Formats: sequence, structure tokens, C-alpha cells
Amino acid sequence: MPIKLPPGTSASTHASAVKEMQRVVGADWVFTSEEDLDTYRDAYSIRWGHDDEYLASAAVAPTSVEEVQAIVRIANKYKIPIYPISTGKNLTYGGSAPTYSGSIVLDLKRMNRVLEVDEKRAFALVEPGCSYFDLYRYVKDKGLKVWIDCPDPGWGSPIGNALDHGVGYTASQFRDHWGAHCGMEVVTPTGEIMRTGMGALPNAKTWQEYKYGVGPHVDGLFAQSNFGIVTKMGFWLMPQPEAWLTGTVNVPKYSDFIPLVEHCNYLEDAMIATGQAIYSSGLGGPQNAAEVQALMANRYPTLPELDAYAEKKGVPAWRVKLQFYGPPEVIQARWEYAQERISKAIPGTTFTNFEALPMPLTEAQEKTHHLVNFGIPNMAIFASMARQPGDADPKDGHTDFFAVCPRTGEAVFKALKLVYDTQTELGVPITASPFRGPVTWHHKVFFMGAPAVDSQRNDPAFNRRMRTLYDAYVKKFSDAGFPPYRTNPGAQDLLAAQFSFNNNVLLKFQEALKDGIDPNGILAPGRYGVWPKRLRTKRA
Amino acid sequence: MKKIIAAVGIVVGLCGAGVVSAAEPGQIARGQEKFDYWCATCHAGDPREGGRYLPGTASLNAKYKGERPGALADRTDLLPPYIKLVIRRGMEAMPFFRKTEISDAEMDDIAAYLARNTKQP
Repeated sequence: MPIKLPPGTSASTHASAVKEMQRVVGADWVFTSEEDLDTYRDAYSIRWGHDDEYLASAAVAPTSVEEVQAIVRIANKYKIPIYPISTGKNLTYGGSAPTYSGSIVLDLKRMNRVLEVDEKRAFALVEPGCSYFDLYRYVKDKGLKVWIDCPDPGWGSPIGNALDHGVGYTASQFRDHWGAHCGMEVVTPTGEIMRTGMGALPNAKTWQEYKYGVGPHVDGLFAQSNFGIVTKMGFWLMPQPEAWLTGTVNVPKYSDFIPLVEHCNYLEDAMIATGQAIYSSGLGGPQNAAEVQALMANRYPTLPELDAYAEKKGVPAWRVKLQFYGPPEVIQARWEYAQERISKAIPGTTFTNFEALPMPLTEAQEKTHHLVNFGIPNMAIFASMARQPGDADPKDGHTDFFAVCPRTGEAVFKALKLVYDTQTELGVPITASPFRGPVTWHHKVFFMGAPAVDSQRNDPAFNRRMRTLYDAYVKKFSDAGFPPYRTNPGAQDLLAAQFSFNNNVLLKFQEALKDGIDPNGILAPGRYGVWPKRLRTKRA
Repeated sequence: MKKIIAAVGIVVGLCGAGVVSAAEPGQIARGQEKFDYWCATCHAGDPREGGRYLPGTASLNAKYKGERPGALADRTDLLPPYIKLVIRRGMEAMPFFRKTEISDAEMDDIAAYLARNTKQP
């Protein structure tokens, strides 16, 4: 793609900034050729090939916080926007591309050290270029008995993922990666190094254990935002449990989902079953696709109709795989309690797929289990979008849509119908299903997914249709009170605009902070709808 | 994608007789190390369910239907320029890799490793 300069920046000004950045990191680590900058496109972008695709004008890759500071100062001197990335693998949510075309990408991949893992106090401190694979290998190589919590793709950055409100798969308090962070080092938009929480105390002893320090707790300003460049960040870790236990609860009626969710919420909130509860339906899946389509031929089915359908099919309408971590006797007792509690409340409940294993998994067990539930990073999720047998035209990518919903059966039913309503109103093929379970990455809310919005790098018209569909999901779900928890850059203005309580006072507050913290508006303009004063007219 | 196919055509056309790889053992060993670090999480050999848990291997198994191995390290027909092209430009759901992830020198090593068994087509 032709290189785009930041609007309002001359070629000579850009060249001067690039030259100064070369002096900081060395010429080999500043990228300006079209060929190199093509690797800073968002491989999964639904804007791929469009005039408004987000493109970088250069990329610079420092190895130290001092180099980051120097680059920030150069960006301020020339008023050129910079956009930090960590491992650059935030695919479906922007990849390694900036949110404002012409920005210089600040590629932090070379800052990839694991600075500390304390087994006894169960925390880690890492740099942004460190991946989940890197952190896992460090823990394994040193034989430390702690687990990390990782998302599906293991090549992501613990820092980048947490800053984007990413989520994972082990016990309740670790699945929310932002919630499990503790302490950060930030280079401010004017080039100063700041440490948050207890890190601000020169002789700090609990930077990675006590989040707050004293006074206003500012960490939240650096997530899904553009207020600073995070160069170090701490995370709480889970002690390796003695054992893991799982069992599946099956309930017969479609409407049984409502009490099932209530009981599972209780089990998690009371810390009886802290592993991820995985919901699914025996009535969904490809084998039932034609019948499910017929069920929705004229309109979305009512609850009594879905109950009748489940009864006719004679298979449990819903199932949930519960997971427990802890000493064997303790988790066995917890599982027995869960069975007793749910079977008393929901007639016809059955329990299947029991399994209990000492931890860690053996090599053989690793080959047959869902590794992320054991804090083991991998790439298996990508197999779901890779070429399938008989697939002549596999998709090049997708952008995820997961709406934040209350943890109730009623909310899940509503969200499932919203997918159907959105698709019906747009006149696109119906891929909605009443049998899609909620995702429990976060322990206090459900994430409800819409079928993947795909992207094709050779088909701009297809991508255009996907943009329309994606934006429609954002609007429809937000109107219902179920906005997505994160989004691709193209919809960040739209999503931020949905949070409009009292005449958008939240966004106004954020932008007042932005103007004070980043007076030249150089850092990641437009990220999650926050624009600096000089570029505020660029808001979509 | 068309660009990649065209480039592969050129590469095959330029290929001379005999074993393509002239890499020294040290380079192949370095390449294997980098392959294990960067590529094996998707492209390793694994008999489980046709490589279902390894997206690259699964995808290539679906593509070649047994005519060629799904696991890249088992291939005997890969040419270095093609490998490097896919690393930098991506392929379907596989994104491209930046020089801050895999440097040009490391990419040469990976290509040498994967082409170590390649003979004249």
C-alpha cells in the first residue's frame, strides 16, 4: 500500500522525525519501506483494501524505556502521532495497525523480558513484548509452581491483552486480565517515566501485590486508551492447584437455563466452583443446522416453542461443564454439593463427563485437554477459522463481537434474539441460533457472541458488507444495554458514542484529561473514541 | 494471494538441479530452533485428529488431503523464497510476521531448515 503521512505533516517534517528516531534505535529498527510497513497492517481488518484502512507511515522499535522516552520527545517535537503496540497480535481488535492513519507505530516487541516471577508471593512483572508463550516457558524452565492465565492465542502479550480488557480461562479472579494486574510503569505522552500504585514509593516492597498506593488510582486511564505507554506491568498468578475436577450438568428444558444460570452463579460467587463454567446446548451445532434454520423460518421462536422443540428432540436443552481447582478431597466435596444443589432445584437434571486429575497435566493429558483451562498457552483456537475439509475459499480473518450481558438466562435469551433481529433487519443470511451458550471469560458478566464477522484480504466489497453488519451489532446490542467489551478500531468512535449518559459527560471528562496529559495530541489519537483537541474533528 | 502464487511460479522456474538446500548444519539448527519458537505452535507434526489443535497443520491437511504432509517440517518440496514470502505476507488466517518478531536473518534460517529436504522438483 502507498505510504500515508499523518494529515498536516509535510514529507520533510516526517523525514526529520524518522531520522532522529533512527539515531535513537539505529537505522535497522526504523521501518519506512512499503514492504516493511505492509507488515504493520491489520491482517484481519474489515477495512482491508478500503480508502480508510488504518495505515502506518513508519514503525520504530525500541529496546528500552529510555529509548521509548526519546521517541516520545521526538514525536512531541514534530507533533507526529505515535501508536504503541506490544506483540502486535491483537487480531480482530486492530492487530499491529494504528487507529489513526499516518501514525508512526511504536513497536515494543523487542522489549520482551520477564523481569520477575515470585512463586511464593504469586506474581509476575513483565515487559510489553513478552508473550504468554514467553512467560509460560520462563515459569516452566524454572520449575515454578504457579499458573498464568492466558487467552486463546498464546502469542499475545499479557500487557497488551490486559490493556485491551482481554480475558482468559482459569479461576474466577484471574480470568479478567485487567482485574488481575497489579502495578505498572508508564511513559507519559510528554516522555516522563511514572510508576502507579505502590510503585510510586521509592522503596516500594509491594508494587505487584497492593494496587492502590494512596490517592487516586489512575491505572484505568491506561486501558483501552491513549494516556501513556505501559513499559512494565505486574500480574497476580494462581498457585498451581493440587488437582482439577470437572463434571457436566445437563438440564432437559430450554427454560431450565434460567435456574441453571442462577445456581452456577451462586457456585462461582461463593467460590465453590471457581473454574470456567462452559455452557452449551445439545440442540445446536452443525448437525442440527438445517432444523434450527427451519425453526426460525418465519420468526424467532418463543420460549414455549423452544421448550416443546427440546422435548421433541429428547436431548438435554442445555449443559454446563463445571470446573474445580484445589485439593482432591475438597473439590470432590464441592462437586458433590453442586450436584445435590442443582438436582434438587431442576427436575430431570443429569450429571455426566466426570473427570478428576492431579496437576500438572502429563504430556499425554496435554494432548487431550483444553489447555487454556490449565494456564497453558497454545494456538488451537485458530484451527476453528483455518481451512476446513472441503472448504475451497477459507476466510482470511474475522473481527469478534462479544456483548457484555447480565449473568441471567433471560439476558442470554434476549441477546440471542438480538442477533436474529439484527440479521433480519439487514437482510443478511441468518446465522443466529437460539442454542448458542454464553461465554464465561469474566466471572461477573456473560459475554454473548455474534457469529464471527469475517474478513477477506482480496475482497473489499465483502469487507464493506461486514463493516455494515458489525456496526449494526454495536448499535443494536448497545441500545439493549449489552455493548461489546472491546472492538476493532473502525468501530471505536461508534462504541464510545453509545456511552452517552448525561450528554456524553464521560467522554468529555476523558478528553479534558487527554488535553492536559497529552497537550500535543501525539499518542494514539482516536483510540477508543478519545481524540486530542487538535484532531477532534477526525471523530467518525 | 495471487501475488504469492505468481511469485512461487517464478521461484520454481528458477530452481536448478539437485538438492535446493545448501545450508550449513549450523544454520539448519538455528532455523529449527526458531521454527520451534515461532512456527511449531501452529505447524508442528501431530497425529491427533488430523492436527486439529494445530491450525496450520490442520489447514494444510485439509488443503492437500494426504498428497503432501500437513506438518511443514515433514515437507520435501518447500523452497526458501516461498517460505519467506508467506512469513512476510501471510496466508489466509495466518497473519504476516514483522521483522521485530522474525528478523531477516532468522527468516533465512527458518527457510533453510524447512527446505533442508527439498530436492529438484
